[in-house]
Amino acid sequence: MLSQWIIAIALGAVGIYLLKARRTASHQAIRRLFIVVALIAGFVAVIFPNYTTVVAGFLGIGRGADLLLYSFVVFALFYVVHQYRRQLWQEKLTTDLARALTLAQADIEDLKDFGKN
Amino acid sequence: MVCQNEKVSVAQPARDTHNREDDAWVLIPLFNEGQVIHGVVSDLTSRFSHILCVDDGSSDDSASIARAAGATVLRHPINLGQGAALQTGFDYLLTRTEATHVITFDADGQHRLADALEMLELARRKKLSVVFGSRFLDKRTKPGFKKRAVLKVAVLLTRAITGLRLTDAHNGLRVLSREALGHIRLQQNGMSHATEIVHQLAVAKLSWIEHPVEVLYTDYSRRKGQSLLNSINILIDLMVR
Repeated sequence: MLSQWIIAIALGAVGIYLLKARRTASHQAIRRLFIVVALIAGFVAVIFPNYTTVVAGFLGIGRGADLLLYSFVVFALFYVVHQYRRQLWQEKLTTDLARALTLAQADIEDLKDFGKN
Repeated sequence: MVCQNEKVSVAQPARDTHNREDDAWVLIPLFNEGQVIHGVVSDLTSRFSHILCVDDGSSDDSASIARAAGATVLRHPINLGQGAALQTGFDYLLTRTEATHVITFDADGQHRLADALEMLELARRKKLSVVFGSRFLDKRTKPGFKKRAVLKVAVLLTRAITGLRLTDAHNGLRVLSREALGHIRLQQNGMSHATEIVHQLAVAKLSWIEHPVEVLYTDYSRRKGQSLLNSINILIDLMVR
């Protein structure tokens, strides 16, 4: 079934993102593009509810509600992974900042001692 | 860094300084070890001129005790983890001292001064970049069944990740040459840094050896052991960067 391929590939992509994501402008652009597409798709699904069933049928899923559920799970997983990576990045920044502060403090204390002697 | 030398000698005026190591620094990551750090530092000052403690945001008075015992103390403003403390120490030694070797040493008193001196001598005599301490090369250390199992899993994991056939992956006692320090950039703030160090040294293809050491398990140090599940954390930490 087409849907199985799509979902499997999407989950694989989330896994690759977990391991290999880089903070580049193109990655950011792709994420923003996804959000815009999801918004438009959501808008269409609200205005024309039966379209989801049509698309679901084309993909071999059956019901439109199931299509929404599957998409939601994949996007939610991606969001978790993305936030995890963001947190790692923030921790790195905090560490660099704390380290710089520590070394600057050491230099200040050295200068004070130097003044005394 | 004239002032550094003076600070240490002022703190230890009565010591006989003829036998002391001037070129090798001892680096101790320090976190809430107020009960034991004085003994550890003053023991080391009998043979080393330079002890560097990196206090990782302790909430007790570890830092001032270490300073009073004769160590140079750097303080992290917040708690970052042992790996981060080591890297801060490495940065300090590379940019602000002339140290030829660094000996990483645990603050809780589980390592022996004699082992550190032997490893340093070995590194100098054989011109090795790295000497790892291993508690599994002889029968002196008695870790107990559970701790042995945990450490063995960590060893297998480290071998799988780094390709280096070490017998003890998580031993805090190591001697690193200044050259080796230049190849280390620890990103793992937590306990995964022990495997990360081995990995980075393996990538740099530096000369290394393991040296048998004894780890002294006190009730105090035993309480802080790692769990088996933590091996999974180390694996994920090193894969996801």
